[in-house]
Amino acid sequence: MSALLDARGLVKHLGGRRVVDRVDLVCETRQIVGLLGPNGAGKTTTLRMLYGFLRPDDGRILVDGVELGRDLVRAKRSIGVCTQDDTFDGDFTVEQNLTVAAGYFRPRPSGLAGRVAELLERFDLAGYARQKPETLSGGYRRRLMIARALVHRPRLLFLDEPTTGLDPQARMGVWDLVDGLRAEGLGVILTTHYMDEAERLSDALTVLAHGRVVARGSAKGVLGDLVGEHVVVVAATNRDAIAVWLGAHGRGEPASVLGALHVPVSGEELAEFARAFPSLRYEVRVPTLDDLFLKLSLSP
Amino acid sequence: MSWLVAAVEWQSRAVVSRHLRVYLRNWHTAFLPPALEPVTMLVAFGVGLGGYVASLTWQGRPIEYMTYIAPGLLAYATFMTAVFQSLFAAFIRMRYQRTWEGQLTTQVELRHVVWGEVLWAGLLATMYVVIVAAVLAGFDLTGLLHMRVGRLPLLLPLVFVAGCGFAALGLCFTALMPTIDHMNLPVFLLVLPMGLLSSTYFPLEHPVLVALNAVNPLYHLAQCFRGILIGGPVLGHLGAVVGLSVLLLATLVPLNLRLLRRRVLGD
Repeated sequence: MSALLDARGLVKHLGGRRVVDRVDLVCETRQIVGLLGPNGAGKTTTLRMLYGFLRPDDGRILVDGVELGRDLVRAKRSIGVCTQDDTFDGDFTVEQNLTVAAGYFRPRPSGLAGRVAELLERFDLAGYARQKPETLSGGYRRRLMIARALVHRPRLLFLDEPTTGLDPQARMGVWDLVDGLRAEGLGVILTTHYMDEAERLSDALTVLAHGRVVARGSAKGVLGDLVGEHVVVVAATNRDAIAVWLGAHGRGEPASVLGALHVPVSGEELAEFARAFPSLRYEVRVPTLDDLFLKLSLSP
Repeated sequence: MSWLVAAVEWQSRAVVSRHLRVYLRNWHTAFLPPALEPVTMLVAFGVGLGGYVASLTWQGRPIEYMTYIAPGLLAYATFMTAVFQSLFAAFIRMRYQRTWEGQLTTQVELRHVVWGEVLWAGLLATMYVVIVAAVLAGFDLTGLLHMRVGRLPLLLPLVFVAGCGFAALGLCFTALMPTIDHMNLPVFLLVLPMGLLSSTYFPLEHPVLVALNAVNPLYHLAQCFRGILIGGPVLGHLGAVVGLSVLLLATLVPLNLRLLRRRVLGD
């Protein structure tokens, strides 16, 4: 069976700069693919190409077997998009937002009234159906955005930073909904800055830096490849000695966070570190995706 | 030519349908301006200024000033409605409400959004002119105006075509102006001068204006309406309105698409 999304060799130049450079991305049914990277890595541009907002300068995108560049309208029938910013229609109520959005798809979604009622119920929006979206809290606005992206029963859903700015409870509510969508067979492409979100929701990660894919796979695999097996946390007062040690191992400056240095190391390097600094007080922890972002943002 | 085909594709109609739905929901407030504006204008210009002017010469015969400005009022309503819809309302939808961005995440593409705005402005101008025409017909019944009111429906197709052309012009500024405050530039440098110096409210015979008005669709629209409603040459002005409107659409819609592709899509 072919993948829901199969993007190969995507290239995009904006403002004379190559912002996406030969990116490949695949998403299967019942899979959430996390697209990660620091600011300016090319995530949003990649996502915008994938859902047909921007045309790639090179490369090919197949959505449910349909080539986006050849039949954009047909390909977009299978796609649902929840943009990072709220783009619901402020002239309409919550319920009307769903019916108006359905009007932008052909073939029209069947049983629309039932579909709208089902989404209002499922996303806990039924009590707000006749309210204007701007009266909703941030969490419920996100729910409306996702519900709207699903009104035409797409097979592939794009979620661009769906929980940015939400409180922890609202974030977890969105996670539950996204998890439920995967269980129903949707493919989901998710961009996020929240590492716990990416780790908990994603079946596979694709990490971008400077417009290129620098790692892909499971969260653990990506961290092992890009960061290391362990992270040594040591007071920043030891910076000079640590920098010399890192330099001897062909490594650059360590990341510094709140007065502590975070030094990713392999198992062998950890043993060497312990031998090199026998009297130093330090903590060893497992790496997280935060370490990955720190590393990527420090690399040239 | 995909930009041209988009004018008749279902997505453009879906965009128009969305705007119409909003308009009809607010019909009671939307109805007021086109109903009140001609009354105000006729009272201010017709009764007020007309008291001093009384009558003027049109096509070699004297006509009352009120009767002269009535067709101008219809042309002015066409122009102002279409231009303001595509300047301010479209800008608000694009920039502040982000309605366009929401539409673009569906099967609607930018060319449909642009045509949807153009066609909607043309349709709105037509609806406004229907209301203005009804008010003018009421004035005619009372004897304050002397027009061939039975010919008013003939104007509507022309209003729609000209309204679409004016909307394409307005969208150009929507694509170019960085903020809504900058809209003062096209409004005061182009829209108001064009609205008032196109023989809408008074005949202008200065040689410079005559030369400029030869390529001014609003001037030809006003003269064409006068020809139809109070008698006078029609065909030349009709051809000019249609030709200039088509020219505006054929040049400015592709230009708007190019400008808006950069602005809205960042491409």
